[in-house]
Amino acid sequence: MKSTALLLFVFLLWHPAAQAQEPFYKGKNLTIVVGTKAGDVYDLYPRLLAEYWSKYIPGNPNIIIQNVAGAASLIAANQVYNLGKPDGLTLGAIYPALYFDQLTKRPEVKFDWTKFNWIGSTVRSNHLLYMRADTPYKSMKDVRKASTAPKCGATGTASTGYYMPKLFEETLGTKFDIVAGYQAGQDIDLAVERGEVQCRAFTITAYFAREPFISWRKRNFVRVLIQTGKKRDEKLSDVPTIYELMDRYKTPEPPRRLTTVVLAAGDFGRPIVAPPGVPADRVKILRDGFAKAIRDPNLLKEADKRQLEIDPTSSEELESLAKEVIAATPEVVERMKKLIGQETK
Amino acid sequence: MIEAFVSGFWQVLAWPAFGYLLIGITVGFFVGLLPGIGGLATLALMLPFSYTIKEPVPAFCFLLGMLAVTGTTGDLTSILFGIPGEGSSAALILDGYPMSKKGEAGRALGAAIMSSLIGSVVGALALALSIPIMRPLVLLFGSPELFIIVIMGITFIGTLSGRSMMKGLLAGGAGLMLAAIGVDPQTGSLRYTFGNLYLWDRLDLVPVVVGLFAIPEIVDLAVRGTSIAGSKPEKLTGVWDGVVDNFRHFWLVMRCSLIGVYFGVLPVLGANVAQWISYAHAVRGLKDKNAAGKGAVEGVLGPGAATTSTRGGDLIPTVAFGIPGSGSMALLLGALLIVGLQPGPEMLKTRLDVTFAMVWILIIANIIVCGVCFLILNQLAALTFIRGHLLIPFLLFFVFIGSFTANNSYGDLIVTLIFGVMGYLMVLFQWPRPPLILGVTLGKIAENYLWISTAAYGAKWLLFPSVVILIMITIVTVAYPTIKERTGRARYERPGDAI
Repeated sequence: MKSTALLLFVFLLWHPAAQAQEPFYKGKNLTIVVGTKAGDVYDLYPRLLAEYWSKYIPGNPNIIIQNVAGAASLIAANQVYNLGKPDGLTLGAIYPALYFDQLTKRPEVKFDWTKFNWIGSTVRSNHLLYMRADTPYKSMKDVRKASTAPKCGATGTASTGYYMPKLFEETLGTKFDIVAGYQAGQDIDLAVERGEVQCRAFTITAYFAREPFISWRKRNFVRVLIQTGKKRDEKLSDVPTIYELMDRYKTPEPPRRLTTVVLAAGDFGRPIVAPPGVPADRVKILRDGFAKAIRDPNLLKEADKRQLEIDPTSSEELESLAKEVIAATPEVVERMKKLIGQETK
Repeated sequence: MIEAFVSGFWQVLAWPAFGYLLIGITVGFFVGLLPGIGGLATLALMLPFSYTIKEPVPAFCFLLGMLAVTGTTGDLTSILFGIPGEGSSAALILDGYPMSKKGEAGRALGAAIMSSLIGSVVGALALALSIPIMRPLVLLFGSPELFIIVIMGITFIGTLSGRSMMKGLLAGGAGLMLAAIGVDPQTGSLRYTFGNLYLWDRLDLVPVVVGLFAIPEIVDLAVRGTSIAGSKPEKLTGVWDGVVDNFRHFWLVMRCSLIGVYFGVLPVLGANVAQWISYAHAVRGLKDKNAAGKGAVEGVLGPGAATTSTRGGDLIPTVAFGIPGSGSMALLLGALLIVGLQPGPEMLKTRLDVTFAMVWILIIANIIVCGVCFLILNQLAALTFIRGHLLIPFLLFFVFIGSFTANNSYGDLIVTLIFGVMGYLMVLFQWPRPPLILGVTLGKIAENYLWISTAAYGAKWLLFPSVVILIMITIVTVAYPTIKERTGRARYERPGDAI
């Protein structure tokens, strides 16, 4: 008799009605679709997150990374946005500057940047421009006055190495010759060593974390002319920000608006998104879990070891930022097209 | 210096480093054998496992040990089945697979394994010796010189096509055209993408190589209805014979190893290019020009040595500047940072022993894998006597799985099929395939370096002495056979329709 009661009890426990109380994510797989190949820095962040996030999602789902590389993560963004079933079990880790493509109305864009459910971003990135120290360009003022423009190396038109110097041209009246086509950032650094090009724009984090910059700084091989943060980075306290220089050179309003829209990519950082249509309660679970996981002391320790800087952006901030950039006026969009190498008619 | 050299050796042999080395070798062994699945992708997948290893030398035993052997075992698949085990093993097919068809698989395998071993030792020694002169070595060639080297490479291979040199050059040109597919890096405009996102990133080399080389061989095998080695299973020619071949052609192996080292050092170019250049070099030296592509052992020795020696060359800029020489080195650089090492001049001063440990890993890993290979080579060679009908399903399975893993995209499968058909037609109408592959491999690089050179120097770069010399070498290479034939001083036999 006792055993029958026990069986009944066990049965009730397993009954679907009883299970309904269980968290949605229990026993499920949560897939993060990463828009780059495995091993890319954009891939390393979600992989790090995956190790700690599950703990902060009720039901502790199994988190899987799936790499869908291609077209600067546009393929992954399209795929995640247009999921057949937006159940909150598939998320995307995509490039922050994809909204450029939406603004410039590329027909391949199959998403609306403002309608993504923003979960959070692991790190925001500000940029700098370094210049070989043995050139006559000691400051942005020298570049403005120079009769021959310095040559900056870049990979492709969609890279910061390309559009940052272009942005400085638009806003500060400096002239740069951009030499695009290098395979990777390191090849540009090598070309700078060789004297083929003299400058490069990229992230502040990398400048302080890696070679060859550590040795370069030691032997004063390059100097930093400008940084793009709202405030000066504490490691670059003597380098002016683009905002200070815009004030100094009395940049008019339209280029300033362009600056806001372009530099927002840095604030999007390395975003994690869910497609539209995911039930609100699941979005909340994911957001809360992300916010907690990204502050987990063990995650921070591990990130430090892997030299991955953590500087999260909240889901609310990402959401309002997305609305802000997509609301850019046609005039700003026209300027932007010029910036990323698309011919305007 | 000597102290660090010796200490590096013992660190590799110490426990648990040696255990990790064995694990790495085991993984690399199979990754190399399987077509398509490359060392780079595997390295990316294995990187997180190395996070748990706290010490630099054991971590490198695992990662570098794995990477070091993929090139070696990749050669085996190329020789046995005519399917490139790695992208960098494709050149081994040209003479290795015909050897298998003749029943000489054993000899070809022996030659390839031994030349890989020699190549890796040369590469490792180059790494050790070049430490003082690394900087000028890497900085020697800028974009203009690299552009000419690329053009030279395509021309070399094109001219190898014997009587049909024009066909060879045209195939190379077609390869360059195919490489134009995708987003153009200079203006961001889309070329030949037909509204298809898959094509934005240009054609991936893995499905192209696998389709072009493997599919025609599989079709051929099915049509013949025999085993790879034909219907008459003779006695296996000796593995040992192949090993001895390395010493019969010792200087060829050395020269090709050095070619590999230098292509490893140069940014962007690597094993994928070095294999073809060294193949061209090896085949050019043949006394009987018609033997190329019909199972000449020199065509196995050259690329066999070059692909493994690039690993040592690759490491040179990675260690000296913290600037990776290739994709896999970029990942390895990440691993260096994780174990708390900062590659670059500092590391050479403070942790020279780690650098030397890397040298030892390259050598020891290859010695072990060669030992293992020799134990099983006869069994492997016996595979070429299995009836085709039993092999084909497996081969097709691996070919498509291998291609798919390049980008996890169905587009890869379609590309494999298209290039499979194209490869078959090319074989049928006797068009050479290597220039096409080289064109696809080098197209993007050629375009970029041409653009960079012009953007950085205007037209002035055409008159750089180094550029002029390289152009002259190219012209002489193309013109030499023709001139010699015209003057009739010696009847110069061009290589047959080798490739």
